[in-house]
Amino acid sequence: MDRLAAPTEQLIAAGSAQADVGELRAPTAEDTVDGVQPRLVAEPSTVDRLVATLGWAADLGLTVRVRGGGTKQQWGAVAQPFDLLLSTARLNAVVEHRHGDLTATIEAGATLAAVSAALADHAQRLPLDPPWPARATIGGIVATNDSGPARHHHGAPRDLIIGCSIVLADGRAAKSGGIVVKNVAGYDLARLMTGSFGTLAVIASATFKLAPVASSSRTVSIAMDSLEDAAPLIARLADAPLTPSALELEWSPARLHVRFESVEAAVVQQAAEVGRLAAGSGRATTSEGEAESRLWADYAGRRVGPGTHVKLATRPTELVPTLVRLRDACRRGAVEMAAAGRAALGVVEVRLDGSAAAQARVIEQLRESLPPGEGSAVVRQAEPELRRLVDPWGSIGDALPIMQRIKAQLDPDSRLNPGGGPGGI
Amino acid sequence: MDPQFLAELERIVGPDGIVRDDAELATYESDGLAKMRSRPGAAVLPGSAEEVQQVVGLCHAAGVPFVARGSGTGLSGGALPRPDGVLIVMTRLKRILDIDIPNRRITVEPGVLNLEVSQAVAGDGCYYAPDPSSQVICSIGGNLAENSGGAHCLKYGFTVHHVLGVEAVLPDGELVRLGGPALDNPGYDLLGVLVGSEGTLAVVTKVTLRLLRKPAAVKTLLAAFDSTEAAGNAVSGIIGAGIIPAAVEMMDRLTIEAAEAAVHPNFPQAEAILIVELDGAEADVTALFSLVQQVCTDSGAREIQVAQTDAQRARFWMGRKAAFAAMGRVSPSYYVQDGVIPRTKLPEVLARIRSLEEESGLRIGNVFHAGDGNLHPLVCYDDRIPGQPDLAQRVASDILTFCLDAGGSITGEHGVGADKADQMPKMFSATDLEAMQRVRCAFDPRNLCNPGKVFPTPRLCGEVPGPYRAHPAEQAGLAARV
Ligand SMILES: Cc1cc2nc3c(=O)[nH]c(=O)nc-3n(C[C@H](O)[C@H](O)[C@H](O)COP(=O)(O)OP(=O)(O)OC[C@H]3O[C@@H](n4cnc5c(N)ncnc54)[C@H](O)[C@@H]3O)c2cc1C
Repeated sequence: MDRLAAPTEQLIAAGSAQADVGELRAPTAEDTVDGVQPRLVAEPSTVDRLVATLGWAADLGLTVRVRGGGTKQQWGAVAQPFDLLLSTARLNAVVEHRHGDLTATIEAGATLAAVSAALADHAQRLPLDPPWPARATIGGIVATNDSGPARHHHGAPRDLIIGCSIVLADGRAAKSGGIVVKNVAGYDLARLMTGSFGTLAVIASATFKLAPVASSSRTVSIAMDSLEDAAPLIARLADAPLTPSALELEWSPARLHVRFESVEAAVVQQAAEVGRLAAGSGRATTSEGEAESRLWADYAGRRVGPGTHVKLATRPTELVPTLVRLRDACRRGAVEMAAAGRAALGVVEVRLDGSAAAQARVIEQLRESLPPGEGSAVVRQAEPELRRLVDPWGSIGDALPIMQRIKAQLDPDSRLNPGGGPGGI
Repeated sequence: MDPQFLAELERIVGPDGIVRDDAELATYESDGLAKMRSRPGAAVLPGSAEEVQQVVGLCHAAGVPFVARGSGTGLSGGALPRPDGVLIVMTRLKRILDIDIPNRRITVEPGVLNLEVSQAVAGDGCYYAPDPSSQVICSIGGNLAENSGGAHCLKYGFTVHHVLGVEAVLPDGELVRLGGPALDNPGYDLLGVLVGSEGTLAVVTKVTLRLLRKPAAVKTLLAAFDSTEAAGNAVSGIIGAGIIPAAVEMMDRLTIEAAEAAVHPNFPQAEAILIVELDGAEADVTALFSLVQQVCTDSGAREIQVAQTDAQRARFWMGRKAAFAAMGRVSPSYYVQDGVIPRTKLPEVLARIRSLEEESGLRIGNVFHAGDGNLHPLVCYDDRIPGQPDLAQRVASDILTFCLDAGGSITGEHGVGADKADQMPKMFSATDLEAMQRVRCAFDPRNLCNPGKVFPTPRLCGEVPGPYRAHPAEQAGLAARV
């Protein structure tokens, strides 16, 4: 592949001479990913500049990684050398909040916290609550399809996105979907972008359907003696005619957090019902108001604790048995473990701590214990050493070749986050 | 078609799995969009995924185009056959393969009908949420290809939100599995692309769907208004109050009349009616239902009927779901349009449609998923009157322009198919379409899988895009390439 050998200053001077390219600068230590330093950094302040910058990068054959808030730069394979770090930090506008339509168009670099603040004016929200809201950006959340407890009711970014504007690898702007909540015109490239880890195109902005903020909320937390005790209770809750907005399992200690968001009468009634269902399985306490906000803030803090983050997905009924096996394997293998996630969806974030070799063994065992095609354990955040020892993605299955063909079609020179996508694409 | 090719096809599906008699092939000439017709070169009815795979493999090897067909209820000519191609009719793949109630999953073959899924799990207190009005006849494979919606998709989402996994035959005959019973399989969201791709990327042979638990409570009301504007304001008021009903449907005078004539739902005489349904936990439904009633009254509803029994609720829905077919009672022919607008633009766009009705002299009925802003104007015409079919076509096309002017879409659920491929450039730029077609090239580089649908002009996949602007690196004085 053609690769320019020009030094950073010369590149910046040349780029800056082009209309609309920019704003370019030399990298600092903060711009290093996995010890790899880019040759230059671009922080375009408008979408037009983003388009021009990518066009310029395409002309020169520069490889490009995109950074939003920088919270997930260590996800996926260990970074390969690359040329241009493209920061979306300055593309941070809430372009339009159509509150009557319950939709909003948001630029990629807007942080989740800023978006939440803007939408709150009309008692609405983007019902996504992945970690690091103050730093995580819309672009990064979409590119990794990351989510949190609200996924139980509202779904993941792929369920909420209704359109997006992207910049193709060759520097041309394109769009998919639109601003209406229902739309089947053309292929759904917005969903293709969701979870594509910046390997197919650069997301400039995205449009989502929103949710109204409920007037009342309650959370019932149930403390249990063991992880094993959680399984029958989760099954009972899932089977009950309840409509929780979140159903989180946490270990250790073993706890369930069941949240209801609706009108006052409904949250009170449903919280009481959970109390009844939990009797005999654990000790239930109900929180509301500030105590409830604190509970969820503390919980969010625990979810992003130190160590390796692995996303485990199973059939919902297999979740607790799988966690029990993992817990036992960790004990044998001298690895510390904690878990938190969507109990009824079968998706949890597992945190591991220990030597890289020991963690790698535990992760391999976990993967082997999952029936083929019926679950996954993806290493998200981890030290480079561990990400070299185990494939962060695990098996992609028989669809990997078609994914590679899509990559080849949309980014034929493999310049966008090379090697950084699922399956090392 | 080449006799040897036909013999090969017959070897795969057996003598009772192939149709080549011209008269019999006429059955498959069109889908629900009767104005577009074309007889397939041959039709096959495979009985297993393996047979589908072999048929596709054979077509691929011979360079013969193929089109999958479910129940043929599509309204955009998505299953329109090719005279030079094979129609793969999926109706024999109708086994329910696995029901997993604790995990709320069901795995079916694509020929299983939409309603059969809900029926199979009703005894376990579960159902399948997407409920197109055609649910008694349309297939899960067709639903998946069209990303079909229904009245209850406002709250629960469309087909794409309920498909967890598929097994599919790619256009080169390769069998792949995407997604599965667990969420979040690593990799690109190919399910998200495949759902709604209108049979142009693969032939689906197995589908795993998400089931929902039947809600504890359901309440339905029917509100009558003196104008569609007032009804539209009620819709905005409900959403504005932070309520997401399970369904919000609107019908105007003409469609009410038609439904009355066809199935006698005993709807009130009004310029517009709204059907609003809430479901969920008992306390939720009770509290929000009175709010909805209040909003309707405040918006000028002059009559509100609350369904007191399941039978009464069923009657409301029967009237609504019969609306398309019922138009036959008031007009010899009609064209079902499908467009979307932001729901706040409802009054504005309905006013434009009304002026168009006056200008054109054609009656236009309106029945729609109001909560989603998904319009279904029914353009009435008489095909015995010279010029009327063309006029109806123009009127229907103008309505799409209104939708686009309002920031909407040319289709909310019926798909682009063969019917609207030429409208795509009104909504998407050449670059947008090229990006989509690149995805197609990844799946189907030889353009054999349902060609001629969705895109106005096919892209030759061998094409390497030329330099899109004169801007070589040398200009910048940076010629040092290694
Ligand atoms: C009276 C009436 C009411 C309707 N109401 C609604 C409604 O409320 N909501 C709605 O969304 N639609 C509605 N429709 C449209 C239609 O019913 C849906 O689009 C439905 O999903 C089509 O299913 P089908 O099995 O008939 O598919 P077909 O018409 O046979 O095919 C549709 C498309 O699917 C593809 N296809 C079929 N099977 C497969 C497969 N196994 N693999 C790959 N591709 C496949 C075909 O190639 C074609 O492109 C209505 C239609 C009618 C006639």
